[in-house]
Amino acid sequence: MSDPIIRLVDLHKRFGELVVLDGVSFDIPRGKTTAIIGPSGTGKSVLIKHIVGLLEPDQGEVWVGDVDMATASERQKYAVRKRFGMLFQDGALFDSMTAGENVAFPLRFHTNLSEAERRRVAEEKLALVELPDVYDRPTAALSGGQRKRVGLARAIVLEPEVVLFDEPNSGLDPMTSDTIDELIGRMKKQLGITFIVITHDIVSCVDIADYVAMLYGGKLVEYGTVQQLIHSKQPIVRDFLKRNVELPPL
Amino acid sequence: MNAVRELGRFGLFVGSWFRASVTRPPPIRASIEEAYRIGVLSLPILLIISVFVGTNLALQGYNAFAPLGGQRLIGMFVALAGVREMAPIMVASMVAAKAGTEMASQIAVMRIRDQIDALEVMAINPLWYLITPRFLGILAVLPALTMISIFTLTLSAYLVAVFQLGLDGGEFLDYFAQTTILTDFLYCGVKAFFFAIIICFVSCFYGFHCKPGPDGVGGATNSAVVVSAVVCAALNYLLSELLFGGRGL
Repeated sequence: MSDPIIRLVDLHKRFGELVVLDGVSFDIPRGKTTAIIGPSGTGKSVLIKHIVGLLEPDQGEVWVGDVDMATASERQKYAVRKRFGMLFQDGALFDSMTAGENVAFPLRFHTNLSEAERRRVAEEKLALVELPDVYDRPTAALSGGQRKRVGLARAIVLEPEVVLFDEPNSGLDPMTSDTIDELIGRMKKQLGITFIVITHDIVSCVDIADYVAMLYGGKLVEYGTVQQLIHSKQPIVRDFLKRNVELPPL
Repeated sequence: MNAVRELGRFGLFVGSWFRASVTRPPPIRASIEEAYRIGVLSLPILLIISVFVGTNLALQGYNAFAPLGGQRLIGMFVALAGVREMAPIMVASMVAAKAGTEMASQIAVMRIRDQIDALEVMAINPLWYLITPRFLGILAVLPALTMISIFTLTLSAYLVAVFQLGLDGGEFLDYFAQTTILTDFLYCGVKAFFFAIIICFVSCFYGFHCKPGPDGVGGATNSAVVVSAVVCAALNYLLSELLFGGRGL
């Protein structure tokens, strides 16, 4: 793999007695979609919180370009975060704002655009996620799938280099999940940015990912292309996959 | 030990806010909106309570002094108890109960719904974005609310003293004026200033450090109002001693 945009080196994290990450190392390639999979409680969300500097590792390095987020100053972290967008599980939309104001929100702080220009950009991004008419709609009036799509529009409004998805399909019905997956696939083609997706949904992972990292018990147990994952001989990987995809015989 | 650790966390929290805020411009528009929310929306309930605190001060002052023939001193009693003590701590308690709990619960809900993490990822410092407008807003309005409360309770005490208890209005005002000098109002403003700081930081601290789930929001809100009220009450005593202690009447 060439030109990684993010490098994780020997990452360790524990909360009290609970070891969440236990020496995780791998590279995330630029311009590709990398899925991070694994059972609940294996440290997937903790891992991406390290990438954006929301958590600091007990040991190890998190390189984003030439900045180690583990030791970066607050100013450096904020500079790096401007290159990221993130879709949280529930969208993390601000309830006091409309859908469109949520999308335009980062533009208020990081651009010199006028209010009318911010609205235009936000409407463009909402159209990109197939929600062209919701700018003035209160967030409380959005469905679960719409909240995720508005969250996605907000995540890409500053045209970041990397977008992180924390379980984009959780809590959605299968049809809405498919729509979100299609959206991710289409945006990857259109925008050419790096996606990092945390998911339990193996079908979704096979559909959208170029590379897959599987965590188990705080350790990286498999990393490679989707085909490499499907052909993995590791029992834990096969156990995890067999409920959802047809695996080749060993 | 827990209290010491909590105090240390609180100190770090305030320090982090200070560092974040001195390096960024003050959010003027958001601060004005907060001042409106805290000040104007608290005003009706504050006026109602101040009126009835004033009426009861007059009644109880009368009950205390009348058997000794000193009912003329009600004006002095209202000045000492109402202006110096009751108004500042009453306004602080009400604002802690209304605006403080609102701050704590709003921020706590944002915490459990990942909205604070979302601010961080959008490279917007949440301490600056969420606390600074609330801090500037409450700092602007709490002294003003205290002055309004002083005026209201004094007026209602005067009306009860004159029209219900049949006392001389001139004497009431004379004793009130003898006991209250302009500095007293300034000192009440000083008390309100410190109470505003306590209410804002305590409420925001518990909101930011909310535990997960609905119980966490309830706990944060409860802790915010209890700790704010207790600290303000204790601080009220210290400030009274410091500002009025050696001055007598």
